[in-house]
Amino acid sequence: MAEPQKKSFLPVFLNGLITENPTFTLMLGMCPTLGVTTAAMNGVAMGLATTFVLVFSNLIISLLRNIIPDKVRIPAYIVVIASFVTMIDLFMQAFLPELRAVLGTYIQLIVVNCIIFARAESFAAKNPPLASLADGLGMGLGFTCSITLLAAVREIFGSGTCFGLQVMPAGYQPMAIMNMVPGGFITLGVLMILVNVIKRVAARRSEERKEEKLA
Amino acid sequence: MQKQLAITSCPHIRSRKTTQRIMQDVCIALAPAGIAGIVFFGARAAAIIAVSVITCVLTELVYEKMMGQRVTIGDWSAVVTGLLLAYNIPATAPLWIPMVGGVIAILLVKMLFGGIGSNFMNPALTARAVLFVSWGGIMGSYPVTRFMEQTADGLSGATPLAELARVFAGQATLAEGTGLWDLFIGNCPGVLGETCKLAILLGGVWLILRDVADWKIPVSMIGTVFVLYLLTSGFNFGLSLREVLSGGLLLGAFFMATDYATSPQSNLGRVIFGVGCGLIVFVIRAYANYPEGCSFAILFMNVVTPLIDRYTMPKCFGEVKQHG
Amino acid sequence: MNIWLVIIIGQILVNNYVMCQFFGICPFLGVSKKVDTALGMGLAVTFVITLASFITWMVQYFILVPLNLQYLQTIAFILVIAVLVQVVENALKKLSPSLYQALGVYLPLITTNCVVLAVAVNNITDGYNLLEATMSGCFSALGFTLALLLLAGIRERLELSNMPKWMQGFPGALITAGLMAVAFMGFGGLI
Repeated sequence: MAEPQKKSFLPVFLNGLITENPTFTLMLGMCPTLGVTTAAMNGVAMGLATTFVLVFSNLIISLLRNIIPDKVRIPAYIVVIASFVTMIDLFMQAFLPELRAVLGTYIQLIVVNCIIFARAESFAAKNPPLASLADGLGMGLGFTCSITLLAAVREIFGSGTCFGLQVMPAGYQPMAIMNMVPGGFITLGVLMILVNVIKRVAARRSEERKEEKLA
Repeated sequence: MQKQLAITSCPHIRSRKTTQRIMQDVCIALAPAGIAGIVFFGARAAAIIAVSVITCVLTELVYEKMMGQRVTIGDWSAVVTGLLLAYNIPATAPLWIPMVGGVIAILLVKMLFGGIGSNFMNPALTARAVLFVSWGGIMGSYPVTRFMEQTADGLSGATPLAELARVFAGQATLAEGTGLWDLFIGNCPGVLGETCKLAILLGGVWLILRDVADWKIPVSMIGTVFVLYLLTSGFNFGLSLREVLSGGLLLGAFFMATDYATSPQSNLGRVIFGVGCGLIVFVIRAYANYPEGCSFAILFMNVVTPLIDRYTMPKCFGEVKQHG
Repeated sequence: MNIWLVIIIGQILVNNYVMCQFFGICPFLGVSKKVDTALGMGLAVTFVITLASFITWMVQYFILVPLNLQYLQTIAFILVIAVLVQVVENALKKLSPSLYQALGVYLPLITTNCVVLAVAVNNITDGYNLLEATMSGCFSALGFTLALLLLAGIRERLELSNMPKWMQGFPGALITAGLMAVAFMGFGGLI
C-alpha cells in the first residue's frame, strides 16, 4: 500500500490518526488494547509509551533502511524496537513506578506489539525519515486515542468514574465485569460496531455530496 | 427471511412441532416452578418474573423494528428466556437487575448473532453469569422463604450448598443442615425459581413426555454429579442426594442444558455434554470460588458444543473424509 | 496443593493466557476462522513456547544473572524467540517436510505472538525452576490452543447463521470471545 514516493508530513500523520486507525481499522496491537484499559489514565500512559517506541523505531529503521540487509531485517528491527522498549521500561521504573506496576508485563510486551512491527515492515523500511516519523506519530496517537476511548468507556461503567472523577450518579452500582476480561472484549466489539456504522454513514454522506456537486 | 423456498435434501418429515409450539410447551413446563417461587418468596418474585419477561420481549421487538426485520416475538422464545432469567435471580434483587439482564440476554447473546437458533450460548444463563460477576453482592445473597424462621434482614446466613460444602469438608454433619423434604419442596433459601425441586421435576417430566427435551442430557448431567459425590465422599448417600437437590442443578439440567441451539445434536454428543456439565458442576462446587457452578458449567459446555458436534456428528453415507 | 496440578489446571483453565489474561489476542482473532488452521497454529505455538520456555530460562540464569545484565531481559528473550522460530522453521523444512507443510505457514507469525514472550517473562517472575518453567510453557500453550479451537468451532458455526452484516468479522469475533470469557470465569479460584 505504501509507495516509495515523497510523502508530506500532514497526510501521513492524519492517515495514521484516523483513516487507518491501528485499533479500529487495522486491528493491530490488541493485547495491550484490551489488557490495560480498565482506567482511562492507563490508556493514555500505555498509548504514549507505545507512541514513543513507535516514533523512534520508525525513525531509526527508516535511517538504516538502505544499510540493513534484507535477510536479517527482522532480527535487526527487533533489536532496534527492543532497545527503545527497554529504555521506556527503565524510565518508567525509575520515575513512574506506580504506573509501571499497573501496566506490568504489557510494557515489556510493547516489543511484540504488532503495530510496531507492521509499521516498521510496511512503512519505515520503504520511506524517508521524516515521513516515517509522521507515520509513527500518527499511528501512535491514533492508537492512544482509541485505547483511551475504550478505557474511558470501561472505567465509566466499571467504576463509575472517568480519569478518576465521579461521573455516574451516586446510586450507580459499578458493573464489575467491565473491568474484567469479558468486559474488554465486548466493549471493544461494540465500539467497533459503532465506528463501522459511523464510517458507513459518513461515506454515504460524502457520496451524496459528490452527486449533488455533479448535478 | 429471504429463504422463502425450503431447499433441503429428502426425506422431508412433516411435523406439527413448530418453534412456537415447543416454546409454549417449555413455558407450561416452567409454570409450576414460577408459582412455587411466588408462594415461597411472595409478590416480589412475581414482580421480578414480570419485569424480566417484559424486558426480554420488548428488547426483541424494538431491535427487530429498528433493524427492519420480521418481528419474531410471536415464537415465545423471548418469553422462555425471560422466565429462565427471572428464575435465576434472588427475590430480593432490585428490579433493574432483571432489566439489565434481559437486555444482555436478548440483545448481546441472541439478536447480535442472528436471532433464535444462532446464539451459541444460552442467553438467560449468560445474562445470569454476567449479573453474578458484576453484582455478586446482590445476586449472591439469598432470602429466606416465607415459611422459614425469619431473620432481621430477610437474608439467609447459609444456603444448602454452603452447608453441604462444610459437610463435604468434614466440618459439619448432615443433621445440622436443611432437611431433605424442605429441599425437595423448596422451603430453602435460593434464587426464586430453583428451590422447588418438585415443581421442576414436574416440568421436566412434561418436557420429556412431550418430546421437547431429550432425557439424555439431564440424566447424564445429574447422574455424573451424584456419582462423583458418592465416590469422593466415601459413599455418603445422603450427602450426594442433597447435592443433587440443592442449588440450580435440576433447573439447569432440565431447562437450560437442553436448549436446542446450544447443545450437541447427536446422541453421543449429548451424553458427552451432560457428563461434561456434571463434572464441571462438581469441580466448581467442590474446589472453586463460587458456591454454585451449574450456570458456568453449562456455559462452558455450550462453548465446547461446536467441537463436540464436529467430532460426533454421524457422517452422511458416501461422504468423503475431508479432514485428514 | 501439588505444584504440578497448579501448573496444569492453572495454565489451561484458570489463568488461561487468552481467556483470562489478554495475551495472544492477535493470532487468537486472526487464525480462528477454521478449526483445522486453528489446530495447526496451536500445535506450532505449543512447540515453540515449550522450547522457548526452556531456553529463555537458561539464558536468564546462566547468562543474564551471572553477568548482572537482567535489564537486557526483553532484548535477550525476544532475540532468542526470533532466532528459535527461524531455527525451528529451517529444521522442520529439512527433517520433517510433512510437518513443515502443516505448520510452516504459522511459524513466522509466532515471533509476534505475545504469549511466547509473556510466558517466558512470567516463568522468571514466578520463580519457577527449569522443569516447572518448561511445563508451565507447555501447558500455557495448550491453554492457548484450547481457546483457539473453541473460538474456531464457534466461528465455523456462526458462518451458517444470519448475523447482521456489521457484526461479521472482527466485531463478531470480539463479542464471541467476550462471551467465551464469561464461561471461563467459573473456574476462578479453582487453585
